[in-house]
Amino acid sequence: MKISFSCNGETRDIEAGAEIRALDILREDLGLTGTKEGCGKGECGACTILLDGKPVCSCLLPAPKLEGCEVVTVEGLKGPDGGLHPIQQAFLDTGAVQCGFCTPGMILSTKALLDTNPAPTVKEIETGLSGNICRCTGYGKIIEAVQLSAQRMRNE
Amino acid sequence: MDYCKPRTVDEALSSFGDDSVYIAGGTDLGVLLAEMLISPVGMIDLCAIDDMKGISRSDEGLTIGACTLISDIAAADDIPDCLSLGAAAIGSPQIRNMATIGGNICNASPCGDTLTPLMVLDAEFELKGAGGRRALAAGDFFRGPKKTALEPGEILTAVRIPAASLEGSITGFRMTGKRNGQVISQVNMAVWAVIIDGKIENIRISAGSVAPVPLRLIRCEKMLQGKTAAEIMKDAFMKNLAAAAEVEITPISDVRAGEDYRRSVSGALLVDIVTDLVSEGVKDED
Repeated sequence: MKISFSCNGETRDIEAGAEIRALDILREDLGLTGTKEGCGKGECGACTILLDGKPVCSCLLPAPKLEGCEVVTVEGLKGPDGGLHPIQQAFLDTGAVQCGFCTPGMILSTKALLDTNPAPTVKEIETGLSGNICRCTGYGKIIEAVQLSAQRMRNE
Repeated sequence: MDYCKPRTVDEALSSFGDDSVYIAGGTDLGVLLAEMLISPVGMIDLCAIDDMKGISRSDEGLTIGACTLISDIAAADDIPDCLSLGAAAIGSPQIRNMATIGGNICNASPCGDTLTPLMVLDAEFELKGAGGRRALAAGDFFRGPKKTALEPGEILTAVRIPAASLEGSITGFRMTGKRNGQVISQVNMAVWAVIIDGKIENIRISAGSVAPVPLRLIRCEKMLQGKTAAEIMKDAFMKNLAAAAEVEITPISDVRAGEDYRRSVSGALLVDIVTDLVSEGVKDED
């Protein structure tokens, strides 16, 4: 079936059945490989995308559910000058990335959190990122990155 | 796989065939599909049926559409605490943004975190099938792990919580898991109580993930019924209450927790919730 949706601001028309996941459409059809597949069962958050502004697991989302929706992947984030988004820059500046596999999901969960809560507490950051698992960092620097992002975005 | 997105319940019912499957949020179904445990021919998406979404209140009580998102229930401030806390305990932000209360109910996992709240709230489930409408009490709906009273093709359209469960009562919910987020409950427990003049006039307790279906702890309820805060808040009473909870459940050992652990945690959770509610009930009257 034909599915029409917006991805990172561009209208996309694709052909897929319900056995195809949104994750596969993004990675295979659209070449947006920033979205990762970790567990494939909605537990790790590596496949997180923003669907109409909210974080969801693209590995559990049948492609037809994208119809009419607005999707943002990590490739769709940009800073005011067209460069890195302040969240991406903060992850670099705090060293919140080791292997990097969880980072796109972490960044999108951070975006969703800061869009609704520009000054989160550490507890709120932990809850906001609770669906994103990192096996390298121990989360300390990731939380610092979210705090730094929040501070910079408030000062913009 | 074919896919359709009906706008009405009747349209969904007429689309249903032997090899089709209903989908709401897809957070449980997506795992079955990923593991190739099911291979349906057609998928019927219930999420575009407006009548099945949203929370509404009337003189008769609260109606929650089956396709209402778990994140919306977790954030609702005009529903009983136990239900919003149960919803907030499910999965992660990503899962709560996709999952629905109807999905949590129909998946009928013994550890579903909205099930024990619905049990203590005396919720009724509205079902619609080819044969018409019927309503079933939550306690009659769950038949075993992942087994429900739903007939093939039948749809859970809404959850009703009677006014009698809303007025003048307080509720609590607790669960334990191996971490705070993105975890499946080892044990979850909900309590509903009416406390007047420091005395428990009415109480309902339900424990989850400790039996094939969410259980009402009738023996514990009887121990608490009619008791005053002074009688309850004693070490000896609480010890007996915890012991009663431990024998009233029939847990198994699995990948998430051992049977013994589930028994002792059930007793401890009950004592914690009762302590909270009795303190809150007494404070409310001050």
